[in-house]
Amino acid sequence: MLQPELIQLLTASDLVDLRIDAIPKLQVGFSPGSLFSSFTSQDREAKLTFTFIPHQILLNKDHEFFEDGDIHRHLYLQNLSTCPVYDSPTARQCEFRCHISGCSQVFSTVEEYEHHYNTLHRHMCSSCQRSLPSARLLDIHIQEWHDSLFSILAERQDMYQCLVEGCSLKFRTREQRKDHMIKIHQYPSDFMFDKAKRIKKINIANKNRQQKGTSMEVSMSGSEPEDVCQVLSDQPEEEEYMELNHSLEPGILDPAANPINTVELSTDHDTAPILSVTIQPTTNQQRQQHNRERHSYRVPRTVCFGQGSVQAFRGRGRRI
Amino acid sequence: MWRLNAVRHKAGRQGSDLEEFKFKRRAHEKELRRARKDSKLVSKILLLNDDENEEDGTMDTLASDQVLELFKMVCQGRDLVKKEADLRALRKALRSPSAHLVLIRQQSSIAILVTNLRGPSPQCRLEAVRCLHELSQSPHSEVDSWRLRQATPYLITFISGQSPKFTELCLYTLGNMCPDSENVRNILLAQGIIPALNSCIQIHRTNLAVVEAVGFTLSQLISANYVTGRIIPAVLASGLIPHLLSVLTPVLTPDSQFGLGPVIECAWCLHYLACSNVDNGALVAQGTLLRCTSLLVTLGGAVAKGSIEEGMELLIWPLLRCVGNLLLSGPLGALQPQLNDSRLLAALCAFPQAFLQTHPALARESVWVLNNLTSAAAADSSVFCSALFYLNLVPVLIQLLPFSHGINIMVLRVLGNIAHQGREYCLHLAQAGLLPALCATLKMADPEVVTFSLEVLGQLVASDPQLAEEFVRQSGLPVLEAIQYSNQETIRLRAKHLLEHHLPPHCTVDTSASP
Repeated sequence: MLQPELIQLLTASDLVDLRIDAIPKLQVGFSPGSLFSSFTSQDREAKLTFTFIPHQILLNKDHEFFEDGDIHRHLYLQNLSTCPVYDSPTARQCEFRCHISGCSQVFSTVEEYEHHYNTLHRHMCSSCQRSLPSARLLDIHIQEWHDSLFSILAERQDMYQCLVEGCSLKFRTREQRKDHMIKIHQYPSDFMFDKAKRIKKINIANKNRQQKGTSMEVSMSGSEPEDVCQVLSDQPEEEEYMELNHSLEPGILDPAANPINTVELSTDHDTAPILSVTIQPTTNQQRQQHNRERHSYRVPRTVCFGQGSVQAFRGRGRRI
Repeated sequence: MWRLNAVRHKAGRQGSDLEEFKFKRRAHEKELRRARKDSKLVSKILLLNDDENEEDGTMDTLASDQVLELFKMVCQGRDLVKKEADLRALRKALRSPSAHLVLIRQQSSIAILVTNLRGPSPQCRLEAVRCLHELSQSPHSEVDSWRLRQATPYLITFISGQSPKFTELCLYTLGNMCPDSENVRNILLAQGIIPALNSCIQIHRTNLAVVEAVGFTLSQLISANYVTGRIIPAVLASGLIPHLLSVLTPVLTPDSQFGLGPVIECAWCLHYLACSNVDNGALVAQGTLLRCTSLLVTLGGAVAKGSIEEGMELLIWPLLRCVGNLLLSGPLGALQPQLNDSRLLAALCAFPQAFLQTHPALARESVWVLNNLTSAAAADSSVFCSALFYLNLVPVLIQLLPFSHGINIMVLRVLGNIAHQGREYCLHLAQAGLLPALCATLKMADPEVVTFSLEVLGQLVASDPQLAEEFVRQSGLPVLEAIQYSNQETIRLRAKHLLEHHLPPHCTVDTSASP
């Protein structure tokens, strides 16, 4: 219960010098340039932002701070405090909340929170709100999908990097890269870690539907960039890459990333895997149908996925 | 001794209906909380009489005409022996609350009781005061203390008397009457209740039951509403304080019959006096701070040895509050001689550890006292802050950070106070492991916790670049970056400022478009 040091302190014999004024005092004060000590404009701003000042607190007897103690006293006076099994409030551990605006999930341990955060908010592409498993893959994603220069350069040289860390090979096409990863690095052929396109949402606000020219459209034009890891086929596809294979860390996918407006992540924060069916490529029309069907039995209409959140660390502003 | 007897009764019943008891207690607690919010939190005490111990549960409620019959006999009787018997029967009848209404509605009933109270027969006096005592704690609002006011001059006179049992009854009766109305309190004041209490506590200082009764009555008098004007100054001027303080000796091998009762009541009196803030300088001058802190140290020692007595928290609570408020009575430097025992700091850290699960509010109040020690002028508080490091108490505080109920906020205040002392203090805080702990508190749901954490963190990283680097090593940057997307602007601003000015370069993000 109590630490041994504390016990020792409190049961010290009278021979020990217990006087506080005998204890050596640490030096008071700051070096110049620290938060509150200088008068540069930077620190003036600091003074406005950081408002805590140490102050003593006087409490009168009716203050709510004293409520529990008063109740306990009166229970004692009224003879009701003699209960062997106490019913009084016990200290709770604080909950943790995801800070990302729009995602207000709450967790009871730090580990859960960090897992959620690493899965859904870390390494998120600002342009398309997809969450990638690592900084490196995010970089690759941005380069391959949102860098117009990339496609120009890719026509003339090998630009598609192997996704395996430490392998510095590059390839002319995605297909070649995929083959390389399957043959050399023994990745499974149905490996995927990133959602290709956003699924046509059934349960989003109408105005989102009206936005053309985004990857929300069901029909894919050739100009739409392909996914980073398009292992199923060469066609750009609207598929839900939900399956998370063992070779990569769990909790990677950002399923059906919605743009801006949806708010709550109402699913379990463990996202791996939420929906575990591998989707086969289909034609556009069928796909539309397919997705709708797949959505409806796997994803109840009232569930919203995805971040409405602002982009995280990289990328160039938001796509509306 | 009222409490112990009552406890024995309850214990007898508890075995069979513990669940029911807990249910009732929870409901009762809710009522009390509501009452407190309405400033109507009042308790009255009923002394059990010795002969009732055997008879408990076998009393029948008398019909109202039977009660009236008894009363008539009391009025008419001439023979004192018979009258005593009649009064006793009446008193037993009054054990059931319905009889209270019958009696109070009977004309001149109180006057008759008062006549017997001041009459020649000691036994009749005893029974009469018992009757009045029953009435004083009646659950019926019709039976209020104003109706009983004829008795007060006699009750007050008698508490300066010699017989302990009788005095005890008078005291509890008066104590029950105090909270009801300001008018009654004014009458009591005018009739000299305070000097009477003063002489009572001196006469009966070796009788713990009476001392406890004095403490209770005084606490009822000074904890009621609207008392700061006249009553509290009168108490402060009366010479009662030294007697209250003499009760606060470290009685930790308590008398088995009385327990900590007397000390508890006197401690609550001192708390009510201190938090009224009428003249705390006078309290300190008479040695209150010294006495309370010594007792807290003794209690800390008991807690350290693991011998936590039942009811100990009832004593620790008012002592903490008294000390906490008295620390503002003057410049801390002037109070330092009374605060010179380093074990006080250890005790203030031990109480939260020991009572965290059973009484988290007590843990919070203990840390509040630490706040008041560490937040005065830098020159005065630095000695306490230095001592916390020297005695290695800061890790104990850091361990309290995961806990809600206001505990972590108060701990963050204390840590912030220490950080504000200077660079040396910040370095020591980091050595004690504060930075990883802050990484955790920054992720908590309560925005106030996050704000305070940012304040403390800000002070640390700004005081020395080593600490900024250490924070980054502890993977603190992603946490701050995440915070930049918080709903709360105040939180965002703080995080942004730290990232921009005090931490190693990174990508700042434009948050102006945040929702």
